[in-house]
Amino acid sequence: MSDAPTVLVIDDEPQIRRFLRAGFDLAHFTVLEEETGEAGLRTATLRPLDLIVLDLNLPDMDGASIVERLRGWSTVPIIVLSVRASDADKVRLLEAGADDYVVKPFSMAELLARARTALRRQARGASGEPVVKIGHLSIDLSARAVFRDGVRVVLSPKEYRLLQVLAQHAGNVVTHNILLKEVWGARHMQNSHYLRILVRKLRRKIEHNPKQPRILVSELGVGYRLAGGPDSD
Amino acid sequence: MTITLPHGFPHARLRELLVGVLFALLIVTAVTITLLALSPHLPIEHVTIVYLIPVIVAALRWGAIPAIVAGISGIAAPAFFFYAPIYDFRVHSPAQITDIVMFIIVATITGRMAVTVRHARMRAQAENLRDALIGSVSHELRTPLAGIIGSTSVLAHSPAIEDDEHLSSLVRVVQKEAGRLDGDIQNLLDATRISNEGIKPHLEWVDPEDIINGALARKRSLLAGREVTRAVADDLPLAYVDPTLIESALGQLVENAAKYSPPDTQISVSAAQHRDMIAIEVVDQGAGIPAGEAEKVFERFYRSPRHAASTPGSGLGLWIARALVEACDGRVRAFAGVGRGAIMRIDLPVRPQPAADEDVDE
Repeated sequence: MSDAPTVLVIDDEPQIRRFLRAGFDLAHFTVLEEETGEAGLRTATLRPLDLIVLDLNLPDMDGASIVERLRGWSTVPIIVLSVRASDADKVRLLEAGADDYVVKPFSMAELLARARTALRRQARGASGEPVVKIGHLSIDLSARAVFRDGVRVVLSPKEYRLLQVLAQHAGNVVTHNILLKEVWGARHMQNSHYLRILVRKLRRKIEHNPKQPRILVSELGVGYRLAGGPDSD
Repeated sequence: MTITLPHGFPHARLRELLVGVLFALLIVTAVTITLLALSPHLPIEHVTIVYLIPVIVAALRWGAIPAIVAGISGIAAPAFFFYAPIYDFRVHSPAQITDIVMFIIVATITGRMAVTVRHARMRAQAENLRDALIGSVSHELRTPLAGIIGSTSVLAHSPAIEDDEHLSSLVRVVQKEAGRLDGDIQNLLDATRISNEGIKPHLEWVDPEDIINGALARKRSLLAGREVTRAVADDLPLAYVDPTLIESALGQLVENAAKYSPPDTQISVSAAQHRDMIAIEVVDQGAGIPAGEAEKVFERFYRSPRHAASTPGSGLGLWIARALVEACDGRVRAFAGVGRGAIMRIDLPVRPQPAADEDVDE
């Protein structure tokens, strides 16, 4: 992560842009603003960016198509600002390539936490660091080994595969569909209960209290995420 | 946004009434002229039946008083024009007197029915208007509220405010109240959506534990400083429901428990399988619910007289909760509680569990 990451805010509402600018400024980000999808896409091609914060309801373009176009050439983390009661929209955006979402109204702290997670993941991907640490758990992606409080945990192949996919996106949500496809293959996309049962088994092995998971947390109606320790969920 | 009060209300009502009476008389006149024109060619013996038309039309369109006027003139007109002696209001024939008595009875019954229909229709219109109004107002309020909540969250963490105890406590007040307002607006939006569009659940298999953890996480700020115990049975079956709907319903029950019990008391959430149901219970240590109110609390806009004055609320939360759970074939009930405190319970049906993954995975 560079010293002052650059964030592009694409939102048509001036009052939202204003507090986002103030909040990111205080957190030492360099902030760029655009009001429309078209202008946002243009800026994204012209300026090197570390993060894009994209409002879902822009007047000129559909959020998912902006994400798809950005993903055509860029891997920059994208966080979507969405409204409540639209699980289907969230899933669509995540599967189009968005990294995460926050639901309006949201607090700046919440957005900054998501932003930092996305930046960290991007930096880890760039450096090729093979070990992902979440709370008391560490996952060594190169050695395919998982340690809980330093003690090796034995996982079944599917349990490991599930954890691996989540670890590759550590901190961000991975949708149910993507997990089903990655672990069981495309023809099992309908069998969402496989995932529920496997998650239960995996939680028993990696969580201190499987009934109140701190690491493998559920985003109801959307997917799962690997959270970072007891203070973030 | 301005709301103009109908200050000319009684005046407008009077004018509406006069218009109604006038139209009622006009219809009776039209009926009489038509009958007079037809009578040389058409043998109509019981003309009074025809005069039921103005009564019903007036009752449906303009209400009771114009209908009564139509009824009285509907007796006068045949007595004067059709019943001997003609051009005289007196009636001699017993058959015609029976006609008129029958008319009065039938007109009274159908008129009353028509007035009831009219009231029901007006109420439905008013309700639609109210829902539309609530929907658009709530939407209009949400946008600025997102700005307020976001801006105060920035203020709360800015050094100038963080260092000043008074200012930061004020910012916290704004944050808390804006959050509460947002919850109320969300309820209004949910309620209008439920009554306008109905609920279209997206059913999927879900671990009930995730629903409970989700609901408690969402209400975390409301539960701050409280002891919350959770007791979830091992190996609960998966539920086949819309997880988002059940999570918000459970959130409403938790919020209700937090609102109506002293802030230093415990709230417990438990889940267990009872025969063919997964029962999720929220128990508080408040004053409980009198047996007579256990069903009423789920009515739309119902506020218990015990809290209506002291605790703010819209009377929508539990009504929403019930609608959401019932959309997933579950049910919500309130129990008075054995000792103290209210017990709220969501029952979700246990469906035959889906076939497990048959691939070997060891």
